[in-house]
Amino acid sequence: MNLLTRSSINYIFFSVVAFVIGGIIFFHVIKTVFYRQIDENLKTEKLLIEEQIDFSDSLPDFRQVFSHMIEVTVFNSPKKKFEFIKDTMLYDKSRDELLPVRQLICENTSIQDQGYIISISKPLKETNQMITTIVGALILLFVFLTGLLIFVNYFISKSIWVPFNKTLENLRKFDISRDAPLALTETKISEFRQLNKTLDRMAKKMRRDYVNLKEFNENASHEIQTPLAIIKSKLELLIQEEELNEEQMGMIKSVYEAATRMSRLNQGLLLISKIDNNQFHHVEQVNLRKVMEKTLEHFEEIINLKKIRILSHFYAAACPFMNPTLSEILVSNLVSNSIRHNIEEGEIRIVMDADGFEIANTGHPLNIPPDELFRRFRKSERTTDSVGLGLAIVKKIILLYQFDIRYEVKENIHLIKVKIQDAKNQGTTETEESS
Amino acid sequence: MKILLIEDEKELSSAVQSYLTKGNYLCETALTYQSALEKIHMYKYDCVIVDITLPDGNGLNIIRELKEEHIDTGIIIISAKNSLDDKIVGLDIGADDYITKPFHLSELNARIKSIIRRRNFGGTNEIILNEIRIVPEQMQVFIDEKETILTKKEFDLLMFFLSNKNRVLTKESIAEHLWGEEMDMADSYDFIYTHIKNLRKKMLENGGNDYIQTIYGMGYKFLTA
Repeated sequence: MNLLTRSSINYIFFSVVAFVIGGIIFFHVIKTVFYRQIDENLKTEKLLIEEQIDFSDSLPDFRQVFSHMIEVTVFNSPKKKFEFIKDTMLYDKSRDELLPVRQLICENTSIQDQGYIISISKPLKETNQMITTIVGALILLFVFLTGLLIFVNYFISKSIWVPFNKTLENLRKFDISRDAPLALTETKISEFRQLNKTLDRMAKKMRRDYVNLKEFNENASHEIQTPLAIIKSKLELLIQEEELNEEQMGMIKSVYEAATRMSRLNQGLLLISKIDNNQFHHVEQVNLRKVMEKTLEHFEEIINLKKIRILSHFYAAACPFMNPTLSEILVSNLVSNSIRHNIEEGEIRIVMDADGFEIANTGHPLNIPPDELFRRFRKSERTTDSVGLGLAIVKKIILLYQFDIRYEVKENIHLIKVKIQDAKNQGTTETEESS
Repeated sequence: MKILLIEDEKELSSAVQSYLTKGNYLCETALTYQSALEKIHMYKYDCVIVDITLPDGNGLNIIRELKEEHIDTGIIIISAKNSLDDKIVGLDIGADDYITKPFHLSELNARIKSIIRRRNFGGTNEIILNEIRIVPEQMQVFIDEKETILTKKEFDLLMFFLSNKNRVLTKESIAEHLWGEEMDMADSYDFIYTHIKNLRKKMLENGGNDYIQTIYGMGYKFLTA
């Protein structure tokens, strides 16, 4: 539900509530006013009748004048005087129906010491009709006004929120890794101007921090290279010594392995920061089938050694536009992953068509959620020898070219799907960002 | 064989120097851009190893100068940058090879050997070691003048050993030499073992000696002495 719908719905809701309450009050006020008028008339008539009775000291005959609406009944035992007005129904002979009337009943004692009751009725039909008409007209007026107001409000809000929506659109397009400024449009509304100013400042700060951090990572990785090179080369010299005993050799071996591991890690991080910095700007159409075949050839020995069966179906060659080096890294990382996490005498199934490719391999069940694997240094606990950057690098490449990657695990089958078509990708990157 | 090492990091420089000196090279070092320029103008080297990022100048300029003066000097670039651009520019202006920090000394040594061999047009390119004779261009190996057929990996392995005779070669450096850096799996060490076993077997079957010694846990050594 967007802001406009929400405000319109609220608007309608409160209008209806206000109308219902206001309508009821209005109805009662009108009714009271009209009834008061009727009651006044009834009392005046009563006074006239009483005067007439006092004057003539006899019961006048009203039947001709007021039809059956006035009745005066004489009775012998005088009672105490009373007078009241009520709503009731009266039978109309001429029309053969009950009519709603306002009736005044009054008992008096002044006629020849005899009591009498005056009952004066006024039909309410016309009054009710009038009330209905007035209220009806009011409803129409209200509906019209409310409709108009909602309509006007909708359009005013819509135009007022335009700068906000533009800002929102710009924010959505904002990508911290790209050097494009957050191009926010000028607006005259001070709140939005403030919002834009704040956002702009935040974006600039974020961008600055991001760049600083990136530069730091990059510099750190670079600076680590030289000390690492010294460590490794000195160790290599050290192992050439003849007089080393087994214990010393063991220690050197551990240090050497750690240094090797660190240099791999460092190279991985450097590669990631290079992808981030878009240093692989050379792009050409790459035939992934050829890359895949080359990679499989490269890994042929290890595949044979592990007795892994390769089943490949190339329905068509996927040929995305990308950097050739990155295409090799992408395929090689995925293939080596499927080998590394495979089992003895396992299987790797590769399917490729024009839209992308799939690599499925047998392996052990995963002990962490598949998406986690794409994060840096996340790895399944079984393999301690890998540095845990392979899939993070894959993910970087996928994001760089806006491809789509999925990792599925069904029992012992690990499946990685890479889609190189841009159209399908749009939705998935968005859901990734929102989750 | 005269080699000039241009590297500003003193410790690294001395490590490389001592490794190369043991391999019967005459290895001189230059720690700065200026001293490197002086040396290349004064002497002639068979191979120059250049670190591109020097504190007082760009190593690429040294390569340009070198190419003007001594066209047949072999050049190897060392870089911490691992950047493709440097590599392309470097190879474009006449460098023969490119190696990224951190590297294995044995790998650097193998590359120097290979460059010197390739540049040694006048003399014979054959490598002869006792009963073994190798023709690198044809990838042929003869033991007692009997041709021994090796796979490409076995041949590369033998060449790597011969470039680093009597040195301990770590499993890591062998794996990287044979399969490149991306082969970072423990499994790869298993088939280094397989390849070495096969190589040793083929050489023994053809009447060669057993030169390859296993250094427990660490790697292998090609013993000629």
